Amino acid sequence: MQKDMIVASSLCVRFAQQTVLDKVNFNVGQGEVFALLGGNGAGKSTTLKTFLGTIAPLSGTATVMGMSVSKDIDSIRQKVAYLPESVMLYGHLTGIENIKYFLSLADIEKSAPDIEQALMRVALQKSAWCRPMSNYSKGMRQKTAIALALLREAPVLFLDEPTSGLDPNAIDEFNRLIATLAADGATVFMVTHDVYGACQVAHRIGLLDNGKIVGMFERKDQAHIDTEEVHAAFSARSQQ
Amino acid sequence: MSVIQQVTRDEWRFWHRTKLAATIIIIGTLLTLVSGVVNTLEMQHASHEREHLQQSAQAQFLEQPDRHPHRMVHYGHYVFRTPSALSIIEPGVDAFTGTSIFLEGHKQNTAMFADQRQASGMTRFSSLTPSFLLQVLVPLFIILIGYASVTREKEAGTLNIMITQGINVWHLLLGKYFALVSSGLLMLLPLIVAAVWASINGESALITSSFVAGYILYILVWCGIVLAVSAVNQKNSASFAILVSLWIVLCILLPRIGSSSAAAIAPSPSKLEADFAVKAELRKLGDGHDASDPAFEQLKKNLLTKYNVDKVEDLPINFRGTVAQYSENKLTEILNQFAEKRMQEELEQAYIARQFGWLTPTTAIRSFSMLIAGTSLETHHRFLREAEKLRFDFVQSLNKVHQDNLSYEADANRNKNADATKAARVDAANWQVLSEFSFKPDTAQTRLLRSAIYALQLLFWCGLIVLLLRFAVRRIS
Repeated sequence: MQKDMIVASSLCVRFAQQTVLDKVNFNVGQGEVFALLGGNGAGKSTTLKTFLGTIAPLSGTATVMGMSVSKDIDSIRQKVAYLPESVMLYGHLTGIENIKYFLSLADIEKSAPDIEQALMRVALQKSAWCRPMSNYSKGMRQKTAIALALLREAPVLFLDEPTSGLDPNAIDEFNRLIATLAADGATVFMVTHDVYGACQVAHRIGLLDNGKIVGMFERKDQAHIDTEEVHAAFSARSQQ
Repeated sequence: MSVIQQVTRDEWRFWHRTKLAATIIIIGTLLTLVSGVVNTLEMQHASHEREHLQQSAQAQFLEQPDRHPHRMVHYGHYVFRTPSALSIIEPGVDAFTGTSIFLEGHKQNTAMFADQRQASGMTRFSSLTPSFLLQVLVPLFIILIGYASVTREKEAGTLNIMITQGINVWHLLLGKYFALVSSGLLMLLPLIVAAVWASINGESALITSSFVAGYILYILVWCGIVLAVSAVNQKNSASFAILVSLWIVLCILLPRIGSSSAAAIAPSPSKLEADFAVKAELRKLGDGHDASDPAFEQLKKNLLTKYNVDKVEDLPINFRGTVAQYSENKLTEILNQFAEKRMQEELEQAYIARQFGWLTPTTAIRSFSMLIAGTSLETHHRFLREAEKLRFDFVQSLNKVHQDNLSYEADANRNKNADATKAARVDAANWQVLSEFSFKPDTAQTRLLRSAIYALQLLFWCGLIVLLLRFAVRRIS
């Protein structure tokens, strides 16, 4: 049985008088790619921020690797990697310098060959490694951030709208990379409103609407989740 | 390497690569260095000139030929004060008061301010001295270097990554704080060199190290303010605008409001008003040049009784010289009363202005710096008192020569003809009445005690910074 790495159990979040998450339940197993899909204001980012410990839930529990976000957030943060929608890192540093710096902040020492190997694994072209990051495209910055996550040996990755702003080739490349990471045992939790992208890469998709999980889709025997089925459910919710 | 060290190192790398901060650090350091060097050269030149003038004034006084002793009273003498060694950095009130006084009979030619209402104004802007640079411009440089320390991480999203990576926010802020402090200390280097130079030139090591420590506290405070504001704001532009506004309020407005409030709370009469009041009192004393003035009738009677004679011509002493002594004594009492009152008023104003150190660290360091350097109002007042004592002693010594070494008859007839004038002279050997004037700085203990409360103000600001940073850490976390 797959070990549950991320679990939301009756998770409720309220801002002022507005309920943003209403008894949200899901679990993500080890090596699984889980996409939380929803329109604007559905509560995707709030769910992500709750797991990152920047928003406290009103009730319910959020656990990562068996640790409660409310109680063990510092330990959780040591083990997870987070890629924001716009990965900036440091423009004045090169890709390698960025990785070295962030590793040093996490008190992790890696050799130069290890770093090079991680960069090769995420397919960041070698000519970019020693260029200032201010010259990187979004896709290149994402690859660098994933290389960092690899080097940190983070078993859980949280991704916020990872494919927004990427060209189709970059999206395919990114999806392949995520699939490889999952195959190697990493657990990936992403929030997105990109139906097609989510169906391509995720093992399961949770459809979030008005703070509630209103649908759960998973791969059956196919290589991908059925895009039309998800799209139809997503559109139906959007029109309500 | 610890996380704090890593953050500090990266901050320096950022400054180096972005050029702007590096340029500001270089400009700041060069400016304080040049200002320190120029001020030192000026001080050395002034010191040589002072020494030369002191010797020349003394020699000229002593070289005066045989003459009437009262002419020597009016010939007068200059005294000069050697500024403290640390005045190369902190000229303090010397820039306003000067360091020399002309001493003569019947007058206190103070080196006081042109307008007494300016007394507390001495805590305001001054010229581009090293202390002005350190107290006013270095905070601005620190703002320019550090206003985006944290906001740029927020704008770039790197702060989020760091937090979700589990970095200790205190470590992050401390790393940035140490980087900012090290850039500030770099601009403090000329001060440290000057302090070492002052120690070599005889200044107490306790004083010079306290002086440097005061400025280090000031840098710590400003770096803390800059970092805390940057940490609690989301945008570079907001952080910059708030910090520049704070700089204007703390470095310019509040010190000025402090001195203006002092003048309003403890008003002192204008120079003209004070002069009129002194003149009115002096008129009651009579004219010391005129022995027949009714004001000296009682003195005359007492002397005639004491020596059992009928007229002043029969006295064994020159009555005119006695009158000069008596008159100078009374006049000095009145002048001293007014001078003490004026000094008290100035001190009261300065004290009120210095309390603004609880509201702005700039006033705190300014008060601390002047008191520790020995260039404060208190030191200047002591100079005035010591110079006045010298003046009184030498004038009275000449009046005594007038009384004892010149006959009344020759004195009274001195304007009859050339021979009589010649007869009313005393030997030039009598001019050896000048005591050597050597103004010593206050002891280290006195200066430390005087400045203790202002050191406390700086420590209070440091405490406030710790609270501010704690607040910032909570906000970020």
